[in-house]
Amino acid sequence: MTVGERTVTFSFEQVCLVVELPQPELEHIVELGIVEPGGNTPESWEFDADMLAMIRRASRLHQQLEVDWPGIALAMQLLDQVEQLQLENRQLRQRLDRFLL
Amino acid sequence: MEFKDYYKILGVSEDADAKAIKTAYRKLARKYHPDVSSEHEAEERFKEVTEAYEVLKDPDKRAEYDEVKRYGQGGQFRPPPGWEASGGFSGDGGFQQGDFSDFFESIFGGRGGGFRQESRAYRSRGQDIETQLPIFLEDTLSEEQKTIEFELPDIDERGRQVYKRKSLKVRIPAGVRDGERIRLKGQGAPGFGGGEKGDLYLVIRLVPHPLFDVEGHNLIITVPLAPWEAALGTKLTLPTLDGSIRLSVPPNSQAGQRLRIKGRGLPTRAGRADLFALLKVVMPDHMDDNQRKHWQELSQSSSFDPRQEWSKS
Repeated sequence: MTVGERTVTFSFEQVCLVVELPQPELEHIVELGIVEPGGNTPESWEFDADMLAMIRRASRLHQQLEVDWPGIALAMQLLDQVEQLQLENRQLRQRLDRFLL
Repeated sequence: MEFKDYYKILGVSEDADAKAIKTAYRKLARKYHPDVSSEHEAEERFKEVTEAYEVLKDPDKRAEYDEVKRYGQGGQFRPPPGWEASGGFSGDGGFQQGDFSDFFESIFGGRGGGFRQESRAYRSRGQDIETQLPIFLEDTLSEEQKTIEFELPDIDERGRQVYKRKSLKVRIPAGVRDGERIRLKGQGAPGFGGGEKGDLYLVIRLVPHPLFDVEGHNLIITVPLAPWEAALGTKLTLPTLDGSIRLSVPPNSQAGQRLRIKGRGLPTRAGRADLFALLKVVMPDHMDDNQRKHWQELSQSSSFDPRQEWSKS
């Protein structure tokens, strides 16, 4: 039986290793606010599993679509908004269906 | 093996120049990138487009492909007799998974054969894998045991990337929320050269419930009421995620009004959230003469104007 871990945190070095990202690139991602790991220096940053997934996504988009990092920051923000809206839309639609006859 | 028309895939003519090919690729890559697109089969399309570009952007490979194309058009493709796959070509960071089609490999050889051997020589950590796990709302109330099935990438004896099915029994903690990631350490893809295994992430997806809607951590249940129940108030039995409770509907309740039932929502770190009963007034399908008489009496005795707002303007 494997136990699922809910709260995991990764250090700056661990994220670079796991995502195969050079350190300056990850610093850049944090500077642009794509993820916000708290703390002022890379040593004090703590990344959670959601941030790790966002960094992976950002990194794939950066490489595969040849978009620069500020462009990725904008794309990630917009994608997040689209996903939120889609979720909200789905939920409201379902509730509306129940409420109407 | 099926012949792949890379020009058609990118939507360019056979005499398209490098610039047109690049533009076509970029447009399609943005459209079908699995991190961006919600289109059906986006990932398959993206791989196809990437593979086509990998060939057509490189003058040597494009010439090689054009030659094959002249020879092997139409449906089934078999490499020309004596055709040697020009192996040893190293990818320059196209699609990360690097699994191109058999058609591609039959012409250009295993992509990055050299790359894989290189990886083996060095220690490298296995890939992390993500898979979705559907969870019923009821199952978030307590720790749950689940058997999950997923696919792990591996390298077969010929050095090609293959996928192996795996199943695993896992304990899912109570109180998980939609979209949350649960880590199973060391259950991802195997590493190379003694490198450690990657991790497996389960992305929680809450399954839509026939009765309850989710709003943050709160739940909403729609409660149909007869008009007289809304008018006079009533007591009814209300289903919740964990057993039924008695609910008092106060007199003169409105359709769309919410009644809060504390502590019957989804679990959070700070205890259970709330359940809201959303009132909905429904008319009976049929009315007999006696009932009609009662409504008529009500109509005559009441001065209520439901469209008061309209007369203001």
